[in-house]
Amino acid sequence: MSDIQPWYRPRPDLLLLLLVLLLAVVGMLTLYSAVHQGNHVLWWRQMQFWGLGLLVLMGCTLLPLRLLGLLIWPLFVVSLVLLVLVPLLGDVQMGARRWLTLGSFRLQPSELVKWSLMLLFVHWFASRSANHWRTLLPPLLACLIPIVFIVKQPDLGTALIILMEATALVIMAGFPWSWLLAMVLSSPLFLALMWHFMHDYQKRRVRTFLNPQADPLGAGYHVIQSIIAIGSGGILGKGFLHGTQARLHFLPEQHTDFIFSVLAEEGGLLATALLLLLFILLIGRILMIAAVAHTRFGALLCLGVASMFTIYTFVNIGMVSGLLPVVGVPLPFISYGGSALTTMLAATGLVMRVAFESRGNIPWQRPGSPLA
Amino acid sequence: MVASGIMLLLLLVVTGRLVQLQWKQHEGLFLQAEENRMEMVPELPLRGEILDRHGVVLAQNRVSYRLSLIPERVEHLSATLDFLGAQLAWSTRQRQLIARRIRHHRPDRPVLLQDKLIWSRAAPIASRQYHWPGIEIEASSYRYYPFSKQTSHLIGYLALANRHDLHQGVHSGELVGRSGVERAFERQLHGTAGYRQEEVDARGRRVRILSREPSQVGKPVRLSIDIVLQQAASAALGSRTGAVAVLDVHSGEVLALLSKPGYNTNLFITGLEQARWNQWLADPSKPLLNRAIQAAYPPASTMKLITALAGFRFHAPLVHSTTVCKGFLTLADRKLRCWKHRGHGRIGITRAIIESCDVFFYRLGDQLGMAHLSVTARDWGLGERTGIELFGEVKGHIPGANPHHIREQRRWYRGEIMISAIGQGSVTTTPLQMARVAATIANGGKLLRLTLLANQPPQIERQIVVQGDTLQTIRQAMRHVVSSWSGTGHRALSQAKLATAGKTGTAQVVRTKRDAHGNKIKGRVMQRDRDHAWFMGYAPFQHPEIALAVFVEHGGHGGKVAGPIARAIIDAYAMEHAAKHPINSAHDS
Repeated sequence: MSDIQPWYRPRPDLLLLLLVLLLAVVGMLTLYSAVHQGNHVLWWRQMQFWGLGLLVLMGCTLLPLRLLGLLIWPLFVVSLVLLVLVPLLGDVQMGARRWLTLGSFRLQPSELVKWSLMLLFVHWFASRSANHWRTLLPPLLACLIPIVFIVKQPDLGTALIILMEATALVIMAGFPWSWLLAMVLSSPLFLALMWHFMHDYQKRRVRTFLNPQADPLGAGYHVIQSIIAIGSGGILGKGFLHGTQARLHFLPEQHTDFIFSVLAEEGGLLATALLLLLFILLIGRILMIAAVAHTRFGALLCLGVASMFTIYTFVNIGMVSGLLPVVGVPLPFISYGGSALTTMLAATGLVMRVAFESRGNIPWQRPGSPLA
Repeated sequence: MVASGIMLLLLLVVTGRLVQLQWKQHEGLFLQAEENRMEMVPELPLRGEILDRHGVVLAQNRVSYRLSLIPERVEHLSATLDFLGAQLAWSTRQRQLIARRIRHHRPDRPVLLQDKLIWSRAAPIASRQYHWPGIEIEASSYRYYPFSKQTSHLIGYLALANRHDLHQGVHSGELVGRSGVERAFERQLHGTAGYRQEEVDARGRRVRILSREPSQVGKPVRLSIDIVLQQAASAALGSRTGAVAVLDVHSGEVLALLSKPGYNTNLFITGLEQARWNQWLADPSKPLLNRAIQAAYPPASTMKLITALAGFRFHAPLVHSTTVCKGFLTLADRKLRCWKHRGHGRIGITRAIIESCDVFFYRLGDQLGMAHLSVTARDWGLGERTGIELFGEVKGHIPGANPHHIREQRRWYRGEIMISAIGQGSVTTTPLQMARVAATIANGGKLLRLTLLANQPPQIERQIVVQGDTLQTIRQAMRHVVSSWSGTGHRALSQAKLATAGKTGTAQVVRTKRDAHGNKIKGRVMQRDRDHAWFMGYAPFQHPEIALAVFVEHGGHGGKVAGPIARAIIDAYAMEHAAKHPINSAHDS
């Protein structure tokens, strides 16, 4: 520990925590607007999830990275087991079997799988570079097992996110650019294969995405209403609790996947820009921590978390605004849902641990820095 | 660095999309959101009442409940229909028809299922309305015709707006006049629909009313019809097939307009059953036909007045001299007969009118020619519409009147002219036209435009110029038709409560069958082969007030059949205006 700076006094990265808490405020306000007419319980439940999630965040902050490395494989196995249990014991909701009930708590193992798989990749590439098929094959195989189960559930969104995240991590772990080019060029073949294995409703969603007006009352309805909600908000929005699309239930799933549309309708471009700014700041902060991380593991972990948040945000907003097909991905920190929130806060906690363990290499932690 | 650049790029892509939606496309999408939540619900107007000239209600609105259904809000259509069917005792057929109507209807607009529900029927449905989403019960009104039997053709009926009406801006579920006065004055009676702007949620349920413009009741229509006369005419005609038209001789107002057989117009309101409609259509007595204006018949001897007027107008020698009626007239190898086989002997124009001598008018017509005959007939309003507001009035046919028609330009055979002179052959007129001829004779040649509206200033279509005392002669002759012992209308009308002047007519439907010696073959004449009976005239003789025409299809002899009906109407008029006409003044001439 020779590189411990003499002035260093360990403390959590309060700016990261502040950004997360600001997102919590935005999220809870938007959620209130989405559920205030009916199910108030959901708001209080989400409040509890925040409480629980912040505890988990603290726990992860206290977890040494070395110890984390030991936990990754067991965590992966546990999440896989839970995932396998879903088809046997899970609840069916909206035609998809995604939830496991544990007492009064419903767990969505696919959320856990995404993050444990990410950790697995980070762990694997912490000591290897992704420039040889021997280093690439094992994580890709590890990746395929959960994907098979998830596609069976079916949950296209999670599968997609796992694939995107895996790609991101592989690239960040030193994947040769020439290989990447080859992969991009061969992607049509891959897409055709995926199309072949998709459920009818999933194919319909993709078709609807390509042309939502073709079936405005059927599959395209969600997207059209969501676009109307976002666009009708305009620059300044219709005012808190005054969004007609949300209040009159034209907007589907408005407390979960489509919560962004509620915010966009009531807060306008002002609110959406603010939210995106918060996300950019959060992700930027995580990337800064990655830049000064003490170990390759820590840096890759931060990159993994940052790319995960980016992918979630991009896919969610892209899907509610009609850029991407509707795949059922929550908006980080804003959408209702305990599993996603808790895992994301845990990931934030890990990032804070990385910052913590960088032992003062972080420039803005030096005394006198305005960011300290 | 590349990785963070890609991440920033992805987030900037969605930001760009948001700028596009929330800034560039804001206005269009905002309108779409408004459209989503706003629903314009029409508020249907109450239809105006129809009154007779004294304010008696002929068509009114009664309170009832109407049951409708909004297809897209129904959760289980067949279960809902089962429930309603059980409550309202629908037949299987009815249920099928309703299910079909729902299938072909716009899913977001209410379909009218049943109207005119009384409260005791509507209440059990209303109380369970919330178990059955999509069902709507609202207070409404239905059209009721107190004198449906007597006024079926006159007032007409309503029907649900069809696709054509919907294009005209009428709302679904509204009733529109389909015939009679209801159709003719549709614009005035209909009223103006109001609107309710409602905020609805995604399931179409009303959240609140944003604004409202109430509907405006249709304007009442006050008809010139006198329901007392209409009823008297209806009672007198009884179950016979025919038509009656009664006019005010000075104003051209129609006081009564009857056609029989009629139909029950109250049955139309809920939507008539197809079977009954088909039955009416197929009925050989054609109950849907308004015989007073929509059918033209040979005017028979009532036409003789026109022939006589033509004679005076074109100075036919015969009007100032006499001829001998031997009971028939020989034209080449044909015998044209007078109705009186013994013949009228030496006869002049006055007696020819009184006794309706056919031979005299054959000869008069022969002297005049078709052109003079048809010009006069046209002048007196035959072969043209009377101007009455009702739809579907026919013109009738006057031969030779249309110079543009190729068939009318030929030279006419003498026989054709002679037959036309006594109102047979191809001459046809409507009962209303004949009533107008009577009114024009009575008022001194003012051909009036007829109207069904009360209190309208009289509209004179044209003043017919009649030389000297022509009209006086004709009027005297018409009076004698009724007052002379030998007059064809004497038996029926001489005792009428007002001094009446008129003319009978008996229109031959088929040529009478004769044996080798020229005698009629006796025996029962089939109903459809019987003659049409006519009477046209006016009263009181000295100071005419009303003119009328009575027509009985296959009724038989004019004086015997149509005469008493005319008398009943004139008596009813006299009773109604007893203060004006002391009963004993009836026989003042």
